[in-house]
Amino acid sequence: MASAQAVAAPGVLARVRRNAWLYRRCLGAHLRSTLEYEADFWIMSVSAVIAQGVGIVFLWAIFGSIPEINGWTFWDVAMIYALVVLSEGLSVLFAQGAWSMAFTVNLGGFDALLLRPFSPVLQVLSSEIGMNGLGNVALGGALLGVSVAHVDVAWTPATIALFVVLVVSAALVKVGLNTATNAAAFWIKTPWSMFAFSMHTFGELARFPITIYGIGVRLALSVVLPYAFMSYFPAQAVLSTGTAHWLGFLTPLVAVWCLVLGALVFRRGMLRYESAGN
Amino acid sequence: MRCVSLIEVAQLRKVFRRADKKPGLAGSVRHLVERRFVDKVAVDDIDLRVEAGEAVAYVGPNGAGKSTTVKMLTGVLVPTSGTVHVEGRVPHKDRIANARRVGVVFGQRTQLWWDLPVRDSLELLRDMHGLSDADYRRNLERLDATLGLAELLPVTARKLSLGQRMRADLAAALVHTPPIVFLDEPTIGLDIAVKDRVRAFVRELVAEGTTVMLTTHDLGDIEDICRRLVIIDQGRIVYDGDIGTVVETYARERTMHFSVAEAPASLAGIAARLPDAAVAEGPSDAQLDVTFDPAVVSSARVLAAVQAEADVVDLRIDEPAIEDVVRRVYAGELGAGGMQ
Amino acid sequence: MSAAALLEAAPSGRLPFAGRTRARRSMARTAFRSLVAHQVSFLFGLLATAFAVLSMLYLWRAVLANGPLHGFDWPHMRAYLLVTFVAGSLVSSYVDYRMAGRILQGDVAMDLVRPVGYQDARFAEALGFGVYELGTGLLVAAVAALAFGGVPGPAPGELGAFVVSALLVMPLRFGIVYMSGLVVFWTQNYIGVQAGRIALVTLCSGALVPIAFFPGWAQDVLTYLPFAGMASTPALVYVGHLAGAEAWRAVAVQAFWVVGLWLLGRALWGAASRQLTVHGG
Repeated sequence: MASAQAVAAPGVLARVRRNAWLYRRCLGAHLRSTLEYEADFWIMSVSAVIAQGVGIVFLWAIFGSIPEINGWTFWDVAMIYALVVLSEGLSVLFAQGAWSMAFTVNLGGFDALLLRPFSPVLQVLSSEIGMNGLGNVALGGALLGVSVAHVDVAWTPATIALFVVLVVSAALVKVGLNTATNAAAFWIKTPWSMFAFSMHTFGELARFPITIYGIGVRLALSVVLPYAFMSYFPAQAVLSTGTAHWLGFLTPLVAVWCLVLGALVFRRGMLRYESAGN
Repeated sequence: MRCVSLIEVAQLRKVFRRADKKPGLAGSVRHLVERRFVDKVAVDDIDLRVEAGEAVAYVGPNGAGKSTTVKMLTGVLVPTSGTVHVEGRVPHKDRIANARRVGVVFGQRTQLWWDLPVRDSLELLRDMHGLSDADYRRNLERLDATLGLAELLPVTARKLSLGQRMRADLAAALVHTPPIVFLDEPTIGLDIAVKDRVRAFVRELVAEGTTVMLTTHDLGDIEDICRRLVIIDQGRIVYDGDIGTVVETYARERTMHFSVAEAPASLAGIAARLPDAAVAEGPSDAQLDVTFDPAVVSSARVLAAVQAEADVVDLRIDEPAIEDVVRRVYAGELGAGGMQ
Repeated sequence: MSAAALLEAAPSGRLPFAGRTRARRSMARTAFRSLVAHQVSFLFGLLATAFAVLSMLYLWRAVLANGPLHGFDWPHMRAYLLVTFVAGSLVSSYVDYRMAGRILQGDVAMDLVRPVGYQDARFAEALGFGVYELGTGLLVAAVAALAFGGVPGPAPGELGAFVVSALLVMPLRFGIVYMSGLVVFWTQNYIGVQAGRIALVTLCSGALVPIAFFPGWAQDVLTYLPFAGMASTPALVYVGHLAGAEAWRAVAVQAFWVVGLWLLGRALWGAASRQLTVHGG
């Protein structure tokens, strides 16, 4: 019998490539099994479109009565909203597993992850694929398309590239924050990810221009748990509005920070992991 | 290097900290202010060495610390104190490298992806272990031959029966042909046929030179597979030695349970025919139990004795359970010969 | 917020049954469920709800910064939003979540042998649970009201209409929640159905934005649909936008739909229980 091959990881690049490949493999396997339930796929996608669509109707109804809020027009706010929906959709599609952490860690499934030769945090993130993400991406993409046509931005290849970078970074901000908040499961020993969920709800405050909030909420949204880098700041960067629109260009850096934060909290939590049944 | 044995455990200790709080919301709130904990020592300063190619049975009652030890040997748990080395590596620090060299089966809980077909799980493991296609196919064929894997491959893990799941789990743990294998209750809840299959498979692994550490409640598993027995109780190793000695000395008694057509007036007649065995009343009138040592009294003689006194309708033989052996070891019945 | 957030945290939308309690899918609104078992989860669920209220209040404060719109000044909008919030926290999702679970698990058979009508029993359950929902809803609303400088009291002349209207909210919401729970007889995916239902009810009941902000045709339609009575009607009576005969007419629409939805629910149950034989319940 052939013995186990020890795959040496000669360099950082090779390791990153291997991890990315394994991540895709895990996600792919779950995609296949998820797609077996076709009805689920449609129901989740449609309900995602309804749920997010309701938010757009809401904004539209408000802006039917006033031209702008704190200097933001309907299409500006629509763009912020579209960025949230889109980046959230991406995070749901590609890293939905974060939400399974409370369940996996506190009902004992985490042992199995530790016995496999692949990063546990990447195993957790790739363990589920959220079909409602497709609905989000479709709706967010459409809304973004319509809203960029209405805002005053000169579209050049450079701005388009910037835009793509910002959207991807926004999604990674969400992935990082989801990981960090869900890793609370190592401390709060219930199979419900209610802490992460309440933080997510807090993050939803960033669906609107954050200038409408008091200074405390604004700081929390931009520094403590920088959900505003999913939406408000990148939108500012594209629109070149606001007093500090350059902040939006930091989105990729914030994304890196959030991912690092997620990894750190997760690693810290893992040291506390006590398995189950003792 | 300081490590000479394949597995080296020294003064290993694991203490779990549990919140000591009163029930209810008030209790939770109070716990936030006044944090009190109770310590539970699961593994209490154990020392253990396992050489390459050994087959070790690691037994003890529920909650003795067996699984906790295995979890520290595989890097799932971080020890509170003491050292663990597996092939010279510290499992929890070098977890991924360790995972490539060991295979683990926890009988109580699956390690397959519960929402994926078995085939997908195995292929993901192939990729994580970095197996070549040729190696993978060869290993899978072999696992299929012993475990009858083919029929399980298209089935989603959560839909497997317990026996099927255990076969699939064994395959998942062994697909990378690890030189060290930890089996934690691999036959729990399995029917006889599957149990035999699993045992035969593990025997084969041992014959090939795989180091096996087996945790089980089933004496049959141990006698079939292992030559060395380690008994743990309340986190401490209380016996470490040759399995033959223990079994010969303490696991010799068999009990025959008889069902008879009509309850005999008295058991004295049977007892008189079997002076070296213990005859007792069964759970009901028409039942009786005979406990004997097969080395002293043969099964045939017991049967003949009972048949002479009563009309035997049915009979069943109980093998001694490892619990009995373990219980005797605790009771200090085992001689100093085996003690460390 | 809630519908989208629910989806975010529930990937495939399948309920946690078939041997495995994927309990994490019991999200904020269903946190009540874990009230007894896990206080920490419950408190965070409450926090999540509080954030949602917070964001609505902040947004409307900004919207109304330059003066009243459609007859709403900032203090009255606060009152309107908090009344719709409390109304919206009633029969939120516990009843249908539990129903869906029992139907999918096949436990519904046990409900059927009880000597109480299925719909009556679910209503009783919803009432019992409504006490918790009302309590926590009022708590969050009270804290929010304090944080934003209080709310004006109810319009004095309309107190009677308000009380009747408020009492009708619960049976009305039950009607829609009950029917959406029965949908699991046709689809296994309940999270999706629930999220869609919550989103639509929230919008159409005027809980996000008063119906007066919608275009005329939409206002006409929404006024006579059952949804307005689930949040908008009592809130409008409270702030005095519906007064006198108009208020009582809106209450009559509510009462009409309470009866209407109850009968519709009954009819749907008839159709659903035929599915039961298919499922082998």
